[in-house]
Amino acid sequence: MIRSAVRCSELVELATDWMEGSLDSVALGQLEEHLAVCPHCRSYVTQLRTSIGLLGETPREAPPASARAALLQAFREGVSPDGR
Amino acid sequence: MLEVDGSGDRELIDRLRRGDESAFASLLDRYYQSMMHVARGYVASKEAAEDVVQDTFLGVITGIGRFEGRSSLKTWMFRILVNRAQTRGEREGRIRPFSSVSDGRDEPAVDPARFEGSGRWAGYWSTPPTADLLPESGVLAAELGTRLLAAIEVLPEAQRTVLELRDVLGFSSHEVCDLLEISEVNQRVLLHRARSKARAMLETYVDDGRDR
Repeated sequence: MIRSAVRCSELVELATDWMEGSLDSVALGQLEEHLAVCPHCRSYVTQLRTSIGLLGETPREAPPASARAALLQAFREGVSPDGR
Repeated sequence: MLEVDGSGDRELIDRLRRGDESAFASLLDRYYQSMMHVARGYVASKEAAEDVVQDTFLGVITGIGRFEGRSSLKTWMFRILVNRAQTRGEREGRIRPFSSVSDGRDEPAVDPARFEGSGRWAGYWSTPPTADLLPESGVLAAELGTRLLAAIEVLPEAQRTVLELRDVLGFSSHEVCDLLEISEVNQRVLLHRARSKARAMLETYVDDGRDR
């Protein structure tokens, strides 16, 4: 391990700004320099990306059957089920 | 899964206007629960959120003929949702959510005990994250994803809402700021806290799984 301008405890707080592209060029350079030499922080970023990916890929559960049926009925009729 | 963004929108909107029930069912299945999660940020009870989500889909049914497609269908639907949830929340006398990001601003992304506390390597990992976290099989990924979706329920409301919109639903930061009427900076703070915690939850599941 080589010491760098950004410490691991700082990198984890900058990770979102980095992924959102909102770091200035100096901070960006320091962060990427750290990532290049720190396998643990690379693992950390991989974990972040994995959890973001899972959240986007996993379907949410279906609506309750009664609500689903009522809204499908409303769609068929083109009006709301309770007349509103 | 039916694509409800960009180029897929036109076809889906046409199907909805023609009364294609399977198109409407796909919207229900894809968005109902996410809408419930977002609505819960504005109203007092699960029942109130159900009313808001039902009203939103009724609004979609009556409004789809006039929808001009200037935004994506998804953005339009969630705009309807947030408007209705806000109205309901105000009627309930609730303070506007997301007016502050004080929940969790000072929480560290990672437990400070996992870094060296002093010496030459202060601030460097003492208990680093596991390298091979990536689920290898689809089944495991699906199980982890389901557990993660359930786990983010416990996040503070504003963080949960931003995470739902950004990472579960795939809205851009700009769209989320618009929908929730928050600044880019606040959006990023909330996203950061939420993503950091989601990562920690995932790490716990995977490490627990290894120990068993």
